Amino acid sequence: MFDLLIQGFAAVLSPQIFALMVAGTVVGIIFGAVPGLTAVMAIALCLPMTYGLGPAAGISLLIALFVGATSGGLISAILLKIPGTPSSIATTFEGGPMMEKGEGAKALGVGIVFSFLGTIASIAALAFIAPSLARIALTFGPHEYFAIAVFSLTLIATLSSGSMAKGIFAGVLGFAVSTVGIAPVDATTRFTFGQVELNAGFSILTVLVGMFAVAEIIKVAETSRSQIAGTAPMIVKIKGFGFTMAEFLGQIPNATRSALIGIGIGILPGIGAGTSNIIAYIAAKKRSKTPEKFGTGTIEGIVAPETANNAGIGAAMIPLLTLGIPGDAVTAIMLGGLMIHGIQPGPMLFITQAPLVYTIFAALIVSAFLMLVLEFWGLRIFIKLLAIPKHILLPVILVLCAVGAFGLASRIFDIWTILAFGVLGFAFVKAGIPTAPFIIGFILGPMAETSFRRGLQLSRGDYTGFLTNPISGVFLVLAVLSILWQLYGEYRMSRRPDADNPLKLGGEE
Amino acid sequence: MRLKDVIVGAAMTGAGIAYLRMAGNLPEREGVDAATVPGMLAWMMIALGLIEMVGAWRRQPSPTARTGREGIVTVMLTLLLIAGFIAALRPLGFPLATALYLFLQFLVLTPRETRPPVPLYAGLAVASAAVIFMTFRFGFDLLLPAGPLVAWLN
Repeated sequence: MFDLLIQGFAAVLSPQIFALMVAGTVVGIIFGAVPGLTAVMAIALCLPMTYGLGPAAGISLLIALFVGATSGGLISAILLKIPGTPSSIATTFEGGPMMEKGEGAKALGVGIVFSFLGTIASIAALAFIAPSLARIALTFGPHEYFAIAVFSLTLIATLSSGSMAKGIFAGVLGFAVSTVGIAPVDATTRFTFGQVELNAGFSILTVLVGMFAVAEIIKVAETSRSQIAGTAPMIVKIKGFGFTMAEFLGQIPNATRSALIGIGIGILPGIGAGTSNIIAYIAAKKRSKTPEKFGTGTIEGIVAPETANNAGIGAAMIPLLTLGIPGDAVTAIMLGGLMIHGIQPGPMLFITQAPLVYTIFAALIVSAFLMLVLEFWGLRIFIKLLAIPKHILLPVILVLCAVGAFGLASRIFDIWTILAFGVLGFAFVKAGIPTAPFIIGFILGPMAETSFRRGLQLSRGDYTGFLTNPISGVFLVLAVLSILWQLYGEYRMSRRPDADNPLKLGGEE
Repeated sequence: MRLKDVIVGAAMTGAGIAYLRMAGNLPEREGVDAATVPGMLAWMMIALGLIEMVGAWRRQPSPTARTGREGIVTVMLTLLLIAGFIAALRPLGFPLATALYLFLQFLVLTPRETRPPVPLYAGLAVASAAVIFMTFRFGFDLLLPAGPLVAWLN
C-alpha cells in the first residue's frame, strides 16, 4: 500500500501535474468563492481541458478543482454573508456576525485551517475504508447493482428537496433522459427522432453544463436588471491564522465530531456537503456549553460546517471509486471525468488500476495542502475577484460552457443541447424541483436498467430474485424505509411552522 | 390550494403521459424489452405528478416572489441572444459571434440604475473572445469555427 502511495506522490509531484494542480486549486477556490459559480461548474468547464492530458494529470486536476471549490465557499460566506456553494450555508450563520464584529480575519483563518483538517480526515477514511469495501463489492452481481442504484436514487430524491414527489420526479426524469439512444442488452434505438447525433444519447457533460451553468445564467438574467450594482467588499487584514493555540485545541472535539458527521453523510450516496454542514452546525450548537452565543459570531459555528463539508470530499469518493456510484452532483461529474479518461470506477478499479487509485489519494492530500497555502496567501486577491459584477462574469462563463460542449465532438449540436438543458434547469428552479436528483438519475439510470435486465435474465424473468438475494434485498428494503422515513418527516414538518424548521431549504438546492 | 404547485404537478403528469406514448411506440419483443423500463418510469412520473397535484390542492397558499415583467423580458432576450450566438457560430465564426454576443449580453444584463459603459463593454467583449479563442485554439488544439477570419486564424 505504501509503495503504491509513494508512486502516487511521485506522479502527482511531477512538475507538470503539480503546476496543473496549483492552477486547479486556484480556479476551484475562485469558483467556490464566487456566488453562483459552483464546484460542478468548475469541473464541467475544465473537463474538456483534461482531454489532452493523461489519466493521472487529468484526474489530479479535477481533484484539485473539487477540493478548492468545496473550501472556497467559505470566503464569500464570511466576507459577504453569501454562501459561495451550498456546502457553506451554515458558515454564513457565524461568519457574517464575526465579520461585522471585526473578526473576519479570524473567521477566515479558522475556516481555512479546519477545512484542511476535514479534508485530511476524510482522505484517511478513504484510504482505509475504500479497499475493504471494494473487496466486498467484487462479489456483487446485477441484482446487487440494481438494488444499490435504486437505494441511491431514493436517498437522493428524499433528502435533497422540500417535496419528496418533486425530488423523486427529478430522479425519474433524469433516468428517462438517460434512456435516449441505443438501449442496453438488445440495442434497440430509442427516442432519437431520427437524429443520428442522439444515437449515443446525451453526453454527461452537456447535461451537467446545461442544468447547472446555463440555468444559473438564465436565473441571474431574471433579476440582474433590478439588482443594485455590486458593493465593494470590506478590506480584511490577517495576521497568522488569526486564532490562538488554546482556541485551536478547544475546538478539537467539535472538529472530530464534525469530521465524523461529514464522513458519515458524505459516504452515503446522494447526501452531500450541502446537508452535512448544516447538520454539523446543529450538532455543534446542541453540544456546546454556550449555545446562546450561536448566531452572534462564534468560532465553534465556523469549525463545525467547514470541517464537515470538506470531510465529505474523501467520503464521497468512497462509493464513487468502489461502486461507481456518485454521491452528489460534484462526484457525478467526477465520474464522468473518470470515464472520459477510460477509467471505469468499481471494485475492479482497485485491482486493475491500483497505481491510479493511489495517485488519486496522493492528489487529494496534495490538494488539501495547496488549498491551505493558497487560500491563506490568496485572500486579498479573492476579495477583489468577488467584486467582478455577475453581469460581466456570467456571459463569459456561458461562452466557456459553449466551448466545453463544442470540444466534446466538435459539433454545434452539443451547444444547442446545453441550451436546451439550461432551459430545463431554469424550469426546475422556477418549479421548485431540485436539480441534483435529475443528474444522479441520469448517471445511475443506465446502470440500473442494464442491471435490472441482466438480473431478470439471470433469474429467468423472476422478479423475486431481487428480493431473495440477501444484499439486493437489504438495499431494496432500505430504499423503501428511506422513502417511509421521508414521508414521516414530511408529515411532522407539515405540522410545524416553517420558522421552527431550520433545515427546510425549499425545493431549490 | 397552491396554484403554482398544481400547475407543476400537472406538468409532471403531462411529461409522464408524453413519455408513456413515446415508450408505447417502441418495437415490442417478448418479455422485458427496451420499452419496459421507460414504461415503468412513465407510470412513476404520472403517479408523482398526481401526488404533487393532490398535495398542492390541500396545501395553504403562500406568498411567493413573482417575476416582474422586466425579469421575463431579460430572460427572453438572454435566451434569444444565446440561441443567436449558437446559430451564428458557423457563419460568423467563434471570435466574431462571441464578441457580438458578449457585448449585447453585457448590455442586456446591466442593472437598470447603472449607465452601461459601452466602450468598456466593447473592449471586454473583444478581449474575452480573443483570449478564449486563442487559449483553446492554440493552447488545447480545439478547432473552434473561425468563420470569415479562417485565413488569418488557422
